[in-house]
Order: sequence, then structure tokens, then C-alpha cells
Amino acid sequence: MLWLWIVIGVVAFVLLIAIFYFNRFVVLERRVENSLAQIDVQLKKRADLIPNLIETVKGYARHERRIMEEVARARKEMLKAGDIAAKVKASNQLEKALGKLFAIAENYPQLKANENFLQLQQELSAIEDKIAYARQYYNDSIMAYNILCTKFPGVAFAKLYGKKEKAFLKIPEVEKKVPKVSFE
Amino acid sequence: MERISFYDQIARNKRKSIVLMFCIFLIFVLLGFLISLAFSKEYFFVVMAVAIVFSLSYIMFTYYYSDKIALMSVRAFPASRTQHKQYYDIVEGLCLASGLPMPKLYIMKSPQINAFATGRNPENAVVCVTTGALEKLNKQELEGVLAHELGHIANYDIRFMTLAVVMVGIISIVSEIFLRSLWLGGSEGEKKNVLFLLLGILFAILAPLFAMLVQLAISRKREFTADATAVKFTRSPTGLINALKKIKHDVPMHVNKAVAPLFMSDPFRKISGLFSTHPPIDERIKALSRM
Repeated sequence: MLWLWIVIGVVAFVLLIAIFYFNRFVVLERRVENSLAQIDVQLKKRADLIPNLIETVKGYARHERRIMEEVARARKEMLKAGDIAAKVKASNQLEKALGKLFAIAENYPQLKANENFLQLQQELSAIEDKIAYARQYYNDSIMAYNILCTKFPGVAFAKLYGKKEKAFLKIPEVEKKVPKVSFE
Repeated sequence: MERISFYDQIARNKRKSIVLMFCIFLIFVLLGFLISLAFSKEYFFVVMAVAIVFSLSYIMFTYYYSDKIALMSVRAFPASRTQHKQYYDIVEGLCLASGLPMPKLYIMKSPQINAFATGRNPENAVVCVTTGALEKLNKQELEGVLAHELGHIANYDIRFMTLAVVMVGIISIVSEIFLRSLWLGGSEGEKKNVLFLLLGILFAILAPLFAMLVQLAISRKREFTADATAVKFTRSPTGLINALKKIKHDVPMHVNKAVAPLFMSDPFRKISGLFSTHPPIDERIKALSRM
């Protein structure tokens, strides 16, 4: 009789652990998905601000056509991009173009003093920070998930539930140096 | 560097919160017991029942309202999204970095650079900074300070610290009142009553002392852990280090002594020693520099 109880106890214990790991996988997978969605939200917010920014800049620096086209092109590219990796890559391009635009704006005192422009500039730099943070959290989430997938005993349950390691977002960080602007 | 396990810290804080609430319950019941013996034997059960009901409702009340009491005691007001945009932007960014829900943001009027976080869990958390911090710190430094406060939220320090501050803070006040009432109305001359009166007085003297000790015990190590968590969120200790350097040469601030442990640095700017509520700033900077 006793050994029967021991068997029942062991089975219950294993079952509990299996449930625990299943839930852990679900929670961490959700976190990865959610953090990815957060990046998307911020990218979209940035894209939404661009037309407004271009309108404002046009009012003061009409002949800086080239840079404005570059920004608009980068934005379009980003909206067109299918998956998140392509989106982030295009977004980095946009970030570079915006950096150039703001550097050029230094030469237009009236534009720099424009209330709307200042607000947009502040908003865009805040979004830039948030994108960086969202990406950081995304990578953290993936790391937590991958650790669960590869460490024992998680690795056994990963096989059982058919969970595989996820790949990190492999996009180089935007260089933090000030973009070069040439005036011809 | 020694690895700090944040999960351990969270579990410890939750456990300590429960122990604290239980201790408070026992202290109130003991107080009721002493009072019942000091006054009259017939009312023993009534007094005890009142003591138990009172302590339970007190614990419930402080659990759900301690953050509001703490905010009220420093006269904090909600930050407006339009006027304090940078404050909101930084906290929103840090919430993205940490996966924490957005806390409510408050501001308190003081020229000193300081901040605290309170609440019972991350879903019901509050961050409060002084006007001095908003004015004197640059963006990176403010980010470091706010990351430190979000670290307190993520590690569940806020629950234990706020409970300790509010529960213990009020206990010291209550026992002071008890002591005073004994001085005023001690006319009966029974020997047994005198004994318990003396016990009551002893207890009333010990309670604030005990309160002080609990306050001293709570924040020192937590500040280091919150600093480490802040670096985990911002990926760089520079902002927090520079903020702490500025804080070191800052002016003292007048707040209720009971809420002092909540703040990220000692509001009174005392020289550190055995009875300080916060670790020395230099030590914190040293620990941060090693990260």
C-alpha cells in the first residue's frame, strides 16, 4: 500500500513541475510577443509624427529638399516593411535622416524658435529613447526565454512542448555620433 | 561583483511584509492586553475584542492606503503630463525597459534633490520627485534617479518600506498618546495596577525606540539593490552616479522623521553612522562605479 502512495506522490510531483514549466513557457513567450508589440507601437508613433515635422520644416527651410525627401523616403520604407526586423532596420535609417534634418535646422534660427518644431523635436527624441528601451526589453525577454529553453530541467520540457530558442533582433545599433552635414 | 538575485529580494520583501503585519497585529493585541489589565478585569474580553478588531482594520487600512498617507505627509501633488513632459517621457521609457506598468507620478515642493516610490505592488505604485530634482538634474541624471525608484517598485521594496514607515510611524505616535494619558490620569492606588502601569509606560517608551530600529533596518541594503536594478534598466550607471554626486552637496530638507527612509537619499543629510537611515553616498557611488 505504501509504495502505491509513493508512486502517486512522485507522479503528482512530476505533474506539478510539468505544469509549472508549461506556464513559465507561456508567460515568457507572451512577454516576448508583448515586448515586440511595444517596439512596433513606438515605431508607428514616430512615423505618425514625420509628415507634421516635414510640413513645419518646409515653412522655414524650403530649399532643403534633399534631406526632407530622404526623411520621407525612410518613413515610407518603414511603413512598407513586413516583419519587425525590416521595420527596425528601416527605422534606423529614418533615425539617421532625422538626425541630419535636426542638424540642418541649427542653421535656421526662426525654425529653431518655432514652438511646433521644438515640440516635435522633443517628442521625437523621447520616442527614440523609448524605442531603444523597448528593444532592450525585447532582448531581455528573449534571453529569459532562451535560458529557460536551454537550462536543465527546462530543456527537457522544451523538447516535450516543442519549444525552440528564439533569435535576437540582429540589427546594428544606430551610431550615437552626430551626423555629418555638408553645406555646398 | 557579487550577483544579486532580484527574485530572492522580491520574495524576501513579500515575506517581510507579512511578518511585519503580523508583528503589528501582535503589538496591538499586547497593547490591548496591557490596557485591559491596567484598567479593570470585567472589561477584559471587551477590550481584547476591540483591540483585535482595531488592529485588523488598522492593518487593512494601512495596506491599502499607506501610499496615500505617505504622499499626504509630504504634501505631494500629481504631475501634469503637459507641464512635466520630460518626467513622463523618462518614466514611460523606463517602464518599457523594465516591463513594469506605468506608475502614477507625483511631485513634492522642495529645493532638495530627492525622490521616493511607494505603493503596495507594481500595479498600484507611485513615484514622487522633488521640484529640486526636476530643476537641478539633467535628463540622464533624472533618468538614473527614476530608474532607482522603479527598481524599488520592481523589487517590491515599496510594499515593505511603506508599510513599515506608515504602520510603525503611527505606532510611535499612538504609544506617545498612551504614555501621556497615563501621566495625566493615574489616580488609583492598587498595587497590581501600578505594576501594569509601569509595564505600560515601559512599553510606551520602548515602542518608539523599536520603531526607530525598524526604520534603520529597512533601507540600507535595499538602496544598493535598487541602484543595481537601476543599472539593469538603464544599462549605464553614469546618470545615477552623477545624480548622487550632485545630491552629496545638496541642501537638507525638512520632512516627517517617519517617512525619511522612503527617500532615495537621507533628507536630513546627516553624517553617516550607526543610526543613519541610508548608506553613505560615497559607498553607493563606489558600488555603482564597479558595475
